Amino acid sequence: MSAPNSRRDDDETLLEVRDLCKYFDNDGGLFGGLTLDREFPFVERDPSNVRAVESVSFDIKKGETLGLVGESGCGKSTLARTVLRLLEPTSGSVYFKGEDLATISGEPLRQKRQDMQMIFQDPQSSLDPRMKVGPIVEEPMEAHGMLDEEGREARAKELLEKVGLDPQHYNRYPHAFSGGQRQRVNLARALSVNPDFIVCDEPVSALDVSIQAQVLNTMQELQDEFDLTYLFIAHDLSVIRHISDRVAVMYLGQMVELADKEELFENPQHPYTQALLDAIPVPDPRSDGRANLLTGDVPSPIDPPSGCRFKTRCPVLIQPDEFDMSDDEWSAVVEFQRAVKRREFETTDRREVRQRYFDSVPGGDAGTLVEDALSHISEGEWNEAETLLTTSFADASVCATEEPAYEVAPEHGDGRHYAACHRVRDAAVASGTAADLDAVGGGPVGEVGAND
Amino acid sequence: MSEPLLSVENLKTQFFTEDGTVRAVDGISFDVYEGEIVGLVGESGAGKSVATSSLLRLVDSPGEIVGGEITFKGETIFGLEEGTGGEPQPRDDMLSEEEMRKQIRGREIAIIFQDPMESLNPVFTVGGQLREFIEINRDLSEEEAKEEAIDMLREVGIPAPESRYDEYPHQFSGGMRQRVLIAMALACQPDLIIADEPTTALDVTVEGQILEMVRDLQEKYDTSFIWVTHDMSVVAEICDRVNVMYLGEIIEHAEVDDLFYETKHPYTQALLDSMPRPDKTVHELNPIKGVMPEAIDPPSGCRFHSRCPHAREVCREVHPEPRNLADEGDETHSAACVMYDAFEVGYEESRPIETDATGGFSAGLTETEESE
Repeated sequence: MSAPNSRRDDDETLLEVRDLCKYFDNDGGLFGGLTLDREFPFVERDPSNVRAVESVSFDIKKGETLGLVGESGCGKSTLARTVLRLLEPTSGSVYFKGEDLATISGEPLRQKRQDMQMIFQDPQSSLDPRMKVGPIVEEPMEAHGMLDEEGREARAKELLEKVGLDPQHYNRYPHAFSGGQRQRVNLARALSVNPDFIVCDEPVSALDVSIQAQVLNTMQELQDEFDLTYLFIAHDLSVIRHISDRVAVMYLGQMVELADKEELFENPQHPYTQALLDAIPVPDPRSDGRANLLTGDVPSPIDPPSGCRFKTRCPVLIQPDEFDMSDDEWSAVVEFQRAVKRREFETTDRREVRQRYFDSVPGGDAGTLVEDALSHISEGEWNEAETLLTTSFADASVCATEEPAYEVAPEHGDGRHYAACHRVRDAAVASGTAADLDAVGGGPVGEVGAND
Repeated sequence: MSEPLLSVENLKTQFFTEDGTVRAVDGISFDVYEGEIVGLVGESGAGKSVATSSLLRLVDSPGEIVGGEITFKGETIFGLEEGTGGEPQPRDDMLSEEEMRKQIRGREIAIIFQDPMESLNPVFTVGGQLREFIEINRDLSEEEAKEEAIDMLREVGIPAPESRYDEYPHQFSGGMRQRVLIAMALACQPDLIIADEPTTALDVTVEGQILEMVRDLQEKYDTSFIWVTHDMSVVAEICDRVNVMYLGEIIEHAEVDDLFYETKHPYTQALLDSMPRPDKTVHELNPIKGVMPEAIDPPSGCRFHSRCPHAREVCREVHPEPRNLADEGDETHSAACVMYDAFEVGYEESRPIETDATGGFSAGLTETEESE
């Protein structure tokens, strides 16, 4: 995986992430990754990796807020930490103001940290309970040799006021503050070294709604005043919609969609984004409630599905070319295959199973395959049935064989729209790998195109 | 409507600490009828969890239920009478600790907690824990209990329950663990389940699955629920009637539709206004000013007056009890706010006062250094 040869020297772009991967060893501990075997050499070592972040590419422009959303465990926080080089990337590059953070280390990296700060989720544990608020805010300045002692105190007081606290609170300990106020102290600390870029990792999810709104408003005011750039991570789509300019959706370590906020919320192209949006509860008892809930669990990132990672839960899997079923027949087949895989039913009675999943069994090859699988089930051979169905249907789909990466024309606004779903392939204006696609940069359509 | 299943009258729970008495629950009253889901909403610190623990008499020292009456299916869970020396003492018909343990908890009233990892023992298998619970509470043999446990796991949507029966809690995802707890709560077919923020720690997609399942199971078993949450969206989705708590008191009570569309209390209104909306882009949020005061020293008069945009002098002096403000013939809709004519305390003539709603952020700072 190599960085693109020519990067846009766009002074607007603050952060450019290309093909970033972060794997974790899964063989921790003395016996980690060891399996016992009956034959020589009796013990086998099988190191496996947790592929937490895989081939993620995106840009953040100066002064914008990029929202990053996804379910827990999808790699949002790992991505954020890797971008800040708090974790060393396995491969890929992170260009911050044109310099690749992945290749520097030691003192040059420490110097860079002055421009990049982070705010954590838990306002309680990210403040030292034995330090007063003033010194907490001053510490980053001291670490970077900013100002003298008096100057730092003056700046700390000024910042406390800016984030909506009383400068008189300089001498108080964190425990005298409420959760929302502590998060404000965190904000002041992050701002103290005058950074350009702040990564906010779920900064408001531990706060009550009323306090959440206060902190979000303050964050927006500060962004305008100090010309800040945020990477804002949240799992709450309402918060993301409120604060972001552009939104990136992650699933199982990969980015599945990236577009302007209005475009993403009003014209989502990826079925996963669609499902996430459908799942948001609306605070209105007269709304229809949530529709089309996803079934199943997120697969393990140790051995993620091939092709599109969402294919095991996708409600609109694409039919392999060799079959010619109607949409209803195809979705019945997919549902049946997943049900067998999860062992969702008990009965091995052929007729009962058939009735439960198929109004009419499809004809042709597909029908024969389904009948074969039903025979296996009535014999109690679940594994055979599962393998048959998976290889002939699910794994034959283009969703399983090719990794999707497309750019589509936006309907709202003029930002670019990246969607990693094969369903948009016909409407797509560009395809390739995410790292090559300009769409991840988000500039207006047609303005940039200097990629090779 | 028939007799309520659970009836709470003027319940008061206090914590006696070195700094003084914390009035965590201060005189709340509500009913739960058969087969309905009653919401209990409020911010953290409103007293929701203390209220639900009180219902099962699970409040530990230094906390104590100091007043009120809790009746469940005709039995007195808590009740006081005046003793010989004028001191209040438990009534004779109040259930003993043993009766509570054997008859009520788990069997008649089950509870589901927020954190599923902490409610399951990590060193026992999921199936074993569920089986043990059924075995003890329903006097079944081990074999029958195991069968029942597997059935319950299937009922709450756990795939391949036979093989997952022998797995440990860490092998389950968060949503799956919460399903196990729901299975455990339902296993004895209780009449009432108290759900204390059961979906707060879950992702929206999983939360949706769980709420849908709860609704189905509720229809099937006709169980009543008390649903404790801070999330108005969950309330809108699942509750039939809602009680809104603020600083130990219920300040508004209504049918769910009335609560959202005919909001009476300024606090409820402010809560609704401060939420970002998923279905439209809002440019500036309208937060509630300040923070909730400490229950150790609540504001005089109406407890919300220090943060209320409509506060007037009378709000500082008069402490309103909830009153029914609905038109005659309509469903009860009570609120505790003197703004309404029903209270007749001269709100109109009173002078507006300066509050957090007009002051700066600093006004909400917790003044007690020893507060935590």
